[in-house]
Amino acid sequence: MNTLVKASLFALVAVLAGCATPPQTNGVVEREELKVDPEVLYSMTVTELFEDRIRQPDGTSILQVQFAVEALNNADLAWKISWFDAQGMTVKGVGEAYRKASVLSGQTRYFKATAPHPRAISYQLHLREPQ
Amino acid sequence: MFKQAIILTLSALVLAGCGSSPTRYVDPAADDGPVSMSMDYRDFEKAATEAVEDMLASGAVSNPNGGRYIMVVSRISNNTMQRIDTDQLTKKIRVALLRSGKVVTTTAVGLNGAEDEMSMAARELRNSDEFDQSGVQKKGTLQAPDLSLSGKILQRNQTVGDEQQVEYYIQLSMTDLASGLAFWEGETPIIKRGSNDSVSW
Repeated sequence: MNTLVKASLFALVAVLAGCATPPQTNGVVEREELKVDPEVLYSMTVTELFEDRIRQPDGTSILQVQFAVEALNNADLAWKISWFDAQGMTVKGVGEAYRKASVLSGQTRYFKATAPHPRAISYQLHLREPQ
Repeated sequence: MFKQAIILTLSALVLAGCGSSPTRYVDPAADDGPVSMSMDYRDFEKAATEAVEDMLASGAVSNPNGGRYIMVVSRISNNTMQRIDTDQLTKKIRVALLRSGKVVTTTAVGLNGAEDEMSMAARELRNSDEFDQSGVQKKGTLQAPDLSLSGKILQRNQTVGDEQQVEYYIQLSMTDLASGLAFWEGETPIIKRGSNDSVSW
């Protein structure tokens, strides 16, 4: 009986250990570059999303992102870009606040953001409707 | 006596119910709260973000000889009706430029004296018998600035119908001290429209 209990416990521990999801510890996380909240899609569409690296006089380069939205009707928008280095860690800029903008019906607006440091190599753009 | 206790208890309950909204923390990264007619931290953050991103994109703060530029903060005039500590703006810019790895700010020089007077005070220990002279700062080690950040914050009030419009303009210049030329300039307008009853100071 004692052996049976021990064997059952061992099997249970083995099963639980196998089911545990190991945390991501490297920079291979697949991030969406563009995240648009469903409320935003009712009033506008993202028509362009470009990225470029700007050469700097000191030989480095800085990532720059530009996107365009076309509004179906007058709407407000809040957007923010998070920057990531080669290890997938965030690169801090001035602040973390969303930038707010208004887009008129039929208007196409272009927005641009520059990475805070040359080590930023990827980004995530989030578009949401301000409250 | 019993009647007085009931009245007191009811009064306390009514007062508690009428109390203003509870004090709470605001997360600057997720603040959709109401906007005031005066300048708040969101306006300074917006101006600093736009300025720093434009400086970095223009290459004006990238030293072609390698290494970091040394910047000094000059005068930022407050021409608004509000009492503004312009450090709210310049500190954000300084921190972001430092983080960018391209610019470092000197605190040893300033229009109204050094921001940190300790750089000079520490040198007064020279030739003091009380201090181990091997740790005292040597002559000629302070670094002179290459760039100077200056600017102005303006305010214009307008009446638009039955509302008022308050316009703020945050103007900044980055001057190359060797040539006296403004290598970078930027202006961030912040326009607010609201009730005539609101005050902007």
